[in-house]
Amino acid sequence: MPSGGLVFQSVILGLLLGGLYALLAAGLTLYFGIMRVVMIAHSAFLILAAYLAWWSHERLGTDPLLSMIVTVPLFFGAGVLFQRLLLSRLRPITLTMMSVLLTFAVALIIEGLLGYAFTGTQRRIQLSYGSASIGLFGARIAVVKLIAFGLAVVALGGLYLLMKRTTFGWALRATIQHGDAARLVGIDTDRVAGYGFGLGLATAAVGGTALSLDTTIYPSLHWHWIGPLMAIIVVGGLGSVPGAAAAAVLLGLMQSLLQIPMGTTWAQTIFYLALFATLAFRPQGFFGGRLAQRF
Amino acid sequence: MPSASRRVLTGLGLAALAAAVLSFPSLAPNPYILSAGIVVLNFAVLSTSWNFVGGFTGYISLGHGALAGLGGYGTALLVTRAGLPSFVACAVAALLVAALAVPIGLAALRVRGASFVIVSIALVLILLLVFQSWAAVTGGSRGLVVPRPFPGLLRPEHHRVFYYLFAALLALALLAWWLIDRSRFGLGLKAIREDEDKAEALGTPTLAYKLIVFVISAGFTALAGGLYALWFGDLDPVFQFSILTGCYLVLMALLGGVRNLFGPFTGALIVGVALEYFKGRFGNTPLHLVATGLLLGLVVMFMPDGILPALGGLWRRLRRNQQSSIREVTAAELRDEREREGAGR
Repeated sequence: MPSGGLVFQSVILGLLLGGLYALLAAGLTLYFGIMRVVMIAHSAFLILAAYLAWWSHERLGTDPLLSMIVTVPLFFGAGVLFQRLLLSRLRPITLTMMSVLLTFAVALIIEGLLGYAFTGTQRRIQLSYGSASIGLFGARIAVVKLIAFGLAVVALGGLYLLMKRTTFGWALRATIQHGDAARLVGIDTDRVAGYGFGLGLATAAVGGTALSLDTTIYPSLHWHWIGPLMAIIVVGGLGSVPGAAAAAVLLGLMQSLLQIPMGTTWAQTIFYLALFATLAFRPQGFFGGRLAQRF
Repeated sequence: MPSASRRVLTGLGLAALAAAVLSFPSLAPNPYILSAGIVVLNFAVLSTSWNFVGGFTGYISLGHGALAGLGGYGTALLVTRAGLPSFVACAVAALLVAALAVPIGLAALRVRGASFVIVSIALVLILLLVFQSWAAVTGGSRGLVVPRPFPGLLRPEHHRVFYYLFAALLALALLAWWLIDRSRFGLGLKAIREDEDKAEALGTPTLAYKLIVFVISAGFTALAGGLYALWFGDLDPVFQFSILTGCYLVLMALLGGVRNLFGPFTGALIVGVALEYFKGRFGNTPLHLVATGLLLGLVVMFMPDGILPALGGLWRRLRRNQQSSIREVTAAELRDEREREGAGR
């Protein structure tokens, strides 16, 4: 029987981890909501952002968080271009399937180029505050994990405000809910979709930077992330941002708790178990998600 | 085209193709080229097996690499642990994988499109996790050595035997695809591809049809995987349960054309040769990933129907002027023709 302190520590770490997962999965739900696109390359962009943070730290000696000044707008632009130049040209009838393959191709290209530029060597950012931790009711929590969680909260909070309080957010939600109706009331859904994609990739820039703070990165790491992230968006109900957030926190917590008896590797299987359980019992997802069953 | 001459042409084409495939081992200059030929044939079998699901129902699975891996590991474990003869093990492993495909298919095929792709990816990732971690049984990352079925044979002879085995399996898979293509069952599957809701409304038992074809596909995929294990003799989870394999299969089938019997085979010839070339050209650099990614992207953007239909279209356009018999035209072609006639008058 694990001690109470260990369980408490795991709960805290699980919640922090869940927050990060929510940030990483938010982009995926956006893409799916807007265009029914399953973006396999999302985690490749995460790793790309993490590499850019590592590289700026290594080369320029700046704090990795500062790299976001460049990567966030850069990724936003890349997302807009990606949607406008490539995805919007696919045939609507086969869009979902072909977009999977197209984004898969992008993921391969990113992985290959990262491997070519930075070699396959595992990299890790050495930070002055990297090993610092604070105590909270007997649990030790690494500062970098808190920073990553803080980034997730800020980014998701910003996304929430943008979606609820601005005209653009209103148009984006309308596009997600009913594209044809949105067009009828005069929303330029193509442009909105482009910006929505940019927004999704911008969250990948933030998430990747958060990830770089305390993970060892290597070019093929993105495969490791695809499974959990896909499981989260299916469990949360495809296309539902709040559903994905709830699923992310729940699964992060469960993974963290299961690590005590099962070890890190086997605790990973919780994502796949949750995925198959969802499909078997509630294919539309356990939280929200009206869209999932049909796609 | 009159059906009699068409049949003769098809027969001649098939005979030429079979002759080309069967004579390759005696033409191959060295064992390396011959083994590359086996790799391409293996891809052709896998891609044709993939096309049972992808081509007929339109469900795109990125997880077929995992089914092949399961077939390979199943064969290896049955030979080493249960002491079964090699080819019996291969067949039993394929049956086991087909049985396992029933629950997997029941879970995965309940959802469409995107969710199905996600499940198929998850299948690969979870199996990779299990086979790497469960080292006591699978050998983990140290690999699993499969005893050779013909210990007395020298390496070139060994290649030659397996080349013909793969060719026979390919012929079997193509025959099965052709039979389904012409059957009522195949018609139901194609109805699912075109519009699943309408197919269901018209009384097609869609879930049962999808499940049956998924199980058939899994069985053939596992057979190919088992044969590969017997040929190659060494299994590593990283390569057996790789999403990349699934991606190659999809790429091959799409490139050749998923609606054609020989589409995946054509794709396997092109992509398989290209992969060997990239590996030789770029060696150990990850640039072969970039090349594969670019190829996949180009196919998806510009040739989603595949090469064979594109060539067929070209052929029809070249023959258009000489044609006098009744032919199928689309409404758009008819309109263009009318407009041209109207302009000429």
